[in-house]
Amino acid sequence: MGSINRLEEGVLATLLALMTILTFVQVVLRYVFNSGLVWSLEATTYLFAALVLFGMSYGVRTQTHIAVDLVTRRLPRRVEKIVNLAAILACLVYALLMLYGSAVFVDRLMILGNHARDIPLPKWLLTVTMPLGFTLLAFRFLEAGWRIFRGKRETEAGS
Amino acid sequence: MTAIFLLAMLFILLFIGVPVAVSLGFASVLTMLLFGDQSLLSSAQKFFHTMHVYPLLAVPFFILAGAFMTTGGVARRMIDFANALVGHFRGGLAMAALLASAFFAAVSGSAPATVVAVGSVMIGGMIASGYSKGFAAGVICNSGTLGILIPPSLVMVVYGAITESSIGRLFIAGILPGIVLTVVMMLTLVVIARRQNMPRQERASLQTVVRTFREALWGLMLVVIILGGIYAGIFTPTEAAAVSAVYAFLIAVFVYKDIGFKDVPGVLVDASRVTVMLMFIIANAFMFAFLLTTEQIPQFASELLVGMGLPVWGFLLLLNLLLLIAGNFMEPTSVVLILTPIVFPIAVDMGIDPIHLGILMIVNMQIGLVTPPVGLNLFVTAGVANMSLEDTVKASMPWLIVLLAVLMLITFVPWISLVIPELLLE
Repeated sequence: MGSINRLEEGVLATLLALMTILTFVQVVLRYVFNSGLVWSLEATTYLFAALVLFGMSYGVRTQTHIAVDLVTRRLPRRVEKIVNLAAILACLVYALLMLYGSAVFVDRLMILGNHARDIPLPKWLLTVTMPLGFTLLAFRFLEAGWRIFRGKRETEAGS
Repeated sequence: MTAIFLLAMLFILLFIGVPVAVSLGFASVLTMLLFGDQSLLSSAQKFFHTMHVYPLLAVPFFILAGAFMTTGGVARRMIDFANALVGHFRGGLAMAALLASAFFAAVSGSAPATVVAVGSVMIGGMIASGYSKGFAAGVICNSGTLGILIPPSLVMVVYGAITESSIGRLFIAGILPGIVLTVVMMLTLVVIARRQNMPRQERASLQTVVRTFREALWGLMLVVIILGGIYAGIFTPTEAAAVSAVYAFLIAVFVYKDIGFKDVPGVLVDASRVTVMLMFIIANAFMFAFLLTTEQIPQFASELLVGMGLPVWGFLLLLNLLLLIAGNFMEPTSVVLILTPIVFPIAVDMGIDPIHLGILMIVNMQIGLVTPPVGLNLFVTAGVANMSLEDTVKASMPWLIVLLAVLMLITFVPWISLVIPELLLE
């Protein structure tokens, strides 16, 4: 678990650092040297998308997604477990629906075969982070659901 | 029918403990599949394109700037400066805590961060100087709410992005309400301090004032860079945010030397964790807003309200009530993301200025932060002050009157929110 943790955190930190540096350099180039990198903004937005999509599943594992636990906390143990399982089931169905939608999205982009506006890469390659992110998310929800089912955890998302 | 299903689904999901982000997304996708004519493809596109909404790029950068500012001793230096300024008045330490919160709010953009940064030093300090623990906690808990009103504010970025209002304008509009609230709280402190004969400290020498100001200046410059840069037209708010993140890194590592290079990855991880948590909610909220628009739900609500002959002041009161209730159950960004797409079109129909509406929503959210059951500032203060939640609620309650009074002022005097942007940006 430790090495997966370090890998996930390393990827997140790198993506955020890259975004920040790119945008900062762009500002400096524009105002100090009166030039700029055309691909900078587009690259930043795709890095941003990758950060969020890759981070969603990390958020499930580290329980950082905000939930309202006001009601569930006050339920009797057994009812609480059932409600928590229902909640995780909703999460799982959501992740699978979004996975399907994003797979169709990437498929359409592959058929169209467009390149990105300023980056010399096909658009689908830059968007493939989305189905990957939702696959990981579905996997983490499944894992969390299994843990609740086995009775190891009380809530699926902390505050 | 569509609207009822959507909202009922949303509330059921929220109350069975589904994360806010998933509740918004799942309710929208289900409603769309059952009643709408859009496809899952369009939902996925809407989600992905949220990260291409240019103003939202400011979110990770402001969070990162705040993370660098919170790790270092920036708060301690601001406290020293505030103390040198007002410490010699009766109740001076409490005033210094309030002032330091206002300063720190201007670099952190977050209310709980302000409570932690200022509270972890000042609550102990106030107790040691003879203040009651409850009083100290109450001051910190409430002055910490300034974090989302005084610019830069993450809640403003989110509101601006979802309503397509100018974030620069919102930031500048937040200045006067922030000052008004700080002054009103300060006057309250003066009255309480007189009545309870609270302790004062020795007057700081002019040299001390100047020295502490110089120390604090590096941190305070952050808000000057952001607001000055936006006002002068040098930066967009997104660029200002990236510049402030790099600036905060340089200050923390090279000027204040509070953290070393080896601590930087940890700060980046913390900031990305918060970014992902917020953006996951925001991306789903954009799908939710998209569905509301395509199904024309706010228009129906608007026609209904106007048809009932509801006057503007009545709508504003109703809106405050709705926001206060919602703010009691969810944290500020979630409330703004869920309610803005619904109430914004109605408010615009009624002739309410979008900037005024934004400020009004934020002051409501401030109150939500200090009211049970889920006021985030209450939890954070209870943690920092090592008090029970019940005692923290009791200590914080008297300040609610002050916040509510300022809310009414800001609701019914739009001038407070609008005068500075009109003066500066026209």
